Amino acid sequence: MTWNEFLYFAIPAIICWLGAASLIYNKKTERISEILMIIGILIFGAFIIGLWIGQERPPLRTIGETRLWYSFFLALIGYLTFRHWKYKWLLSFSAIVACVFVCINIFKPEIHSTNLMPALQSYWFVPHVTVYILSYSMLGAATIAACIQLNKMKKHETDPKLFAFMDNIIYVGFGFLMLGLLMGAVWAKEAWGHYWSWDPKETWAFVTCAAYLIYIHMRLQNKAPRFTVWVLPIAFVLLMITWIGVNYLPAAQNSIHTYSN
Amino acid sequence: MWQFPWQYKESIAFVVGIIIIGILLQLTVGKFNFYLLSSPVNLIVGLGIIVLICLSSIKRKSLFFQWFSGVPFSVTLIGGLLILGIIMGLLPQVVRLDPHDNSFYSILGIRQITSFWPFVLIYFVTLLSLGCLIVRRLIPFRLSDYAFYFNHIGLWILLFAAGLGSADIKRFVMHVQEGEAEWRVYSDNQDIIELPIAIQLNDFYMEEYPPKLAIINRHTGDMQPVEKVEYFDIDTKRPVGKIANWDIELKQYIHEAIRNSDSTYNEVHMPGSSPAAKVKATNRETGEESEGWVCGGNVAQLYMTLNLDTTYCVVMTQPEPKRFLSYIDVFTEDGDEYKGVELEVNKPLKVGNWVIYQYGYDNMAGKMSTYSSMELVYDPWIYPAYAGIILLALGSICLLWKGNKKKDTTNDI
Ligand code: HEM
Repeated sequence: MTWNEFLYFAIPAIICWLGAASLIYNKKTERISEILMIIGILIFGAFIIGLWIGQERPPLRTIGETRLWYSFFLALIGYLTFRHWKYKWLLSFSAIVACVFVCINIFKPEIHSTNLMPALQSYWFVPHVTVYILSYSMLGAATIAACIQLNKMKKHETDPKLFAFMDNIIYVGFGFLMLGLLMGAVWAKEAWGHYWSWDPKETWAFVTCAAYLIYIHMRLQNKAPRFTVWVLPIAFVLLMITWIGVNYLPAAQNSIHTYSN
Repeated sequence: MWQFPWQYKESIAFVVGIIIIGILLQLTVGKFNFYLLSSPVNLIVGLGIIVLICLSSIKRKSLFFQWFSGVPFSVTLIGGLLILGIIMGLLPQVVRLDPHDNSFYSILGIRQITSFWPFVLIYFVTLLSLGCLIVRRLIPFRLSDYAFYFNHIGLWILLFAAGLGSADIKRFVMHVQEGEAEWRVYSDNQDIIELPIAIQLNDFYMEEYPPKLAIINRHTGDMQPVEKVEYFDIDTKRPVGKIANWDIELKQYIHEAIRNSDSTYNEVHMPGSSPAAKVKATNRETGEESEGWVCGGNVAQLYMTLNLDTTYCVVMTQPEPKRFLSYIDVFTEDGDEYKGVELEVNKPLKVGNWVIYQYGYDNMAGKMSTYSSMELVYDPWIYPAYAGIILLALGSICLLWKGNKKKDTTNDI
């Protein structure tokens, strides 16, 4: 399978996910919505596996390829956390954001099938990138929750259960983020001779971690609660710079981390 | 303000104070010189930090140390590092400053944040604060705090080893000719240095990916279509595709080809061979067909293009390296020998405190390169750094495992 077949999978997945996102709010169609969500995830997962086999390498290299995983995990984690926390908005938001990323891949693919350069041929490659994408999708969900919480705080009706959800998913998302970072460090030592060289991508990864650490630690106390919640959307912007923005920054023109041409 | 217990206001004032002191130092004595920290100075400084942290345990109940190891100050320190990190991420960083560069950023020193005094000071204050926190939480030792210990002790060890150890790291690139042995490298100042390690290069070997086809305008050299260049990936399993207005069909592909006298190609496995492809291109508008051989060429043989009309032709890109490795023997001053090593990217060789990496080759010659470059890295602090990384990884797994168990006490807003 190649990118040429993408549309045949992307359109059905989008239809399933959008269907799920809208049907979830009706008690009668809740079950259908869940089934649609799962079918969408399976269709999309099948494409990723097919692409992996077709390209004879894990589809993790170009930005377009990582976006595939992002849509996949966002839908999967959105569904699983919906099952756990019963937040309907969580399912519909993650389904819609997953669709947005699928659409970006349809209209602005950035998918040139590039060959894996020797430095990327390592057993660290797949775990390093998947763990990151997993973490990004969780931190994405936390950002949505933070925006809803901010809205509620404005009306002075802070939701404690939402706080519990945010904290939990941030702890798990941050755990994955750190694991991705540490695997990257060990890999960098193997490939380039040092585990941390303040390469622009590394610098921004550090900045992102620092922002989430601020949230985690400020939540231990109850000072400046509004600021604390604001940290999450800000941290997510920093995360987006790390993931996508770095390729466009002047500071990164000779980064060893910008692979996609 | 400045009434105990101290909170964010005092913490922010304190960190801003550190930054101002740092900037003053930067402007008076110049950038922080990491080589002053070379062994044994870093060992002494490290010991001093540890003694200081241990001494703090006596005063751990004092309000000052509660603050110094508490949440508001930690958050402020992390915030300071975050802001410096953003500057580092936005402003291109340089390895060596041009002595004639008198721009504001260069004089201030933020083109080299890692030796910018405020960064160095905040880094070490963080190390102290984190150390005091660990002592404060270790003294009533609680097994149930294991996640906290893994994360904070791991991070402390890593920051300690990375910060103090950075002065002891040595990195050199050594170029070795095929069939020869080498033990000399150039320093940053282009002086010749003799290393305690000699490397003999027996053979350099390289594999390449199949290249791509592109269509260029012969007069301007522009790849087509100009707005968004398209490539045809050579893949015998997928022989048809398109570039701009042409349908491309791959008729035959030879990965290691040598040109015959009649401008066709034959498969020959020798160092001077290069990929060649027989392609057919059909213009979708005019139906005009062209067929022939295309070759990217290399230092040993000429390239070959396929003309489509008076303006456009099909060309082959240079193949990208798939893997390259050096067959080497290594000898150390102490008489150790490592024979028949295959040194490859991502598969370095450890020799005592040194690690040898496959680094590069003659890019112009590609697989015909007659030399191979190896990077030699010396880092005696790598073991504590790895210990810190492992503890931190365990701490991250604890975060995954436990989530936030304290949810009942923290959601009380
Ligand atoms: C990977 C990095 C880090 C992680 C994952 C992390 C995580 C945590 C967690 C989960 C807690 C609450 C756990 C508990 O109290 O048992 C905590 C507490 C705390 N952390 Fe961190 N932290 C990190 C780095 C830091 C740093 C760099 C500092 C200081 C500069 C710091 C200072 C603190 C402080 C002051 C507390 C409160 C503990 C107390 O007052 O008893 N942490 N951290």
